[in-house]
Amino acid sequence: MTEEPRLSEQEIIERLAPTLSRTTRIRAVAALLAGMTGTVLVSTLWWSEPGPLPGHTHLAFALFTVFCLLWTGYGGWLLTRRAPLFATDQVIAAWISLAAALATTGVVAVVAVQRGTGTGPALAVGGLFIAGTLALTVRAHARRAALLRRMRELTGREHR
Amino acid sequence: MTDELLVVRAQLGERAALAELLARWRVPVWTYVRRMLDAERADDVTQEIWLAVVRGLPRLREPGRFAPWLFTIARRSVTDRLRGEYAWAKEAPVVDDVVAEDPAEAMVDRAALVSFLADLPVLEREILVLFYLEDLPVEECADICRIPIGTVKSRLNRARRLLREHLEEKGYRP
Repeated sequence: MTEEPRLSEQEIIERLAPTLSRTTRIRAVAALLAGMTGTVLVSTLWWSEPGPLPGHTHLAFALFTVFCLLWTGYGGWLLTRRAPLFATDQVIAAWISLAAALATTGVVAVVAVQRGTGTGPALAVGGLFIAGTLALTVRAHARRAALLRRMRELTGREHR
Repeated sequence: MTDELLVVRAQLGERAALAELLARWRVPVWTYVRRMLDAERADDVTQEIWLAVVRGLPRLREPGRFAPWLFTIARRSVTDRLRGEYAWAKEAPVVDDVVAEDPAEAMVDRAALVSFLADLPVLEREILVLFYLEDLPVEECADICRIPIGTVKSRLNRARRLLREHLEEKGYRP
């Protein structure tokens, strides 16, 4: 039997290019971060609003928070199922998310202080955001270090 | 370079390692798919498998077990296409669980095996492809098909017997 695959290696790689492209990964990380920072910002502003709010304002805040949560979910789905983030990409993405968490928390804290209400909840939500992204950063570094260690072991074994 | 080293390098983000893995496993994956499906669907399904591999590679925790992981993905794509056949396929009762010296085994050179595979039921065909054409050990076949090792052995026995009957019907002599 001389039948062979019709798709060459090059053709398969070309068809995988959109999945492996940098744009796909950037879009996925951006969607997740936009969703997360938006959720933190909107929900903190909502909680820290001084005085009682009219019903339609509550509705608007709720809708906006849901919208941001949907973006978070979409970004998470893209990153876990559609756009592969390899170990080095994960380290970069984790640092970007940590920077975004710090910036968001800073903005939220400043707004809360200026309004004079809700500083505690704002810092608590921001702190959670920072802690989460910090954990991701530590995990990404540990994973990459473990892979590099394994690569050195295997390379050494092959050279022996 | 071992598969494990290539997988680790690919997981770190090295595109050349990914391309090398693809070059190394392109034909084995296609062979499995083609023996399970017709020629029209084989290329599309193969592409779909590679897409799933690329997407799932960062989450592969045991780079040393790349082959069974790859064939598990391949099997999932194939079973999606053969849902009907798998649903109807039944585990036949084991007549003789002893792996006896089987005359069919002597006939099982690859060319003969390939030409008769299409006549076999899906469960037996699958196990013969994985064991004989892909040279995977029984333990990995069990992992891929999600069945106990004993079931792999009994399916192999049954598949050999069916294959021998087919070969004899068609007048093939070892």
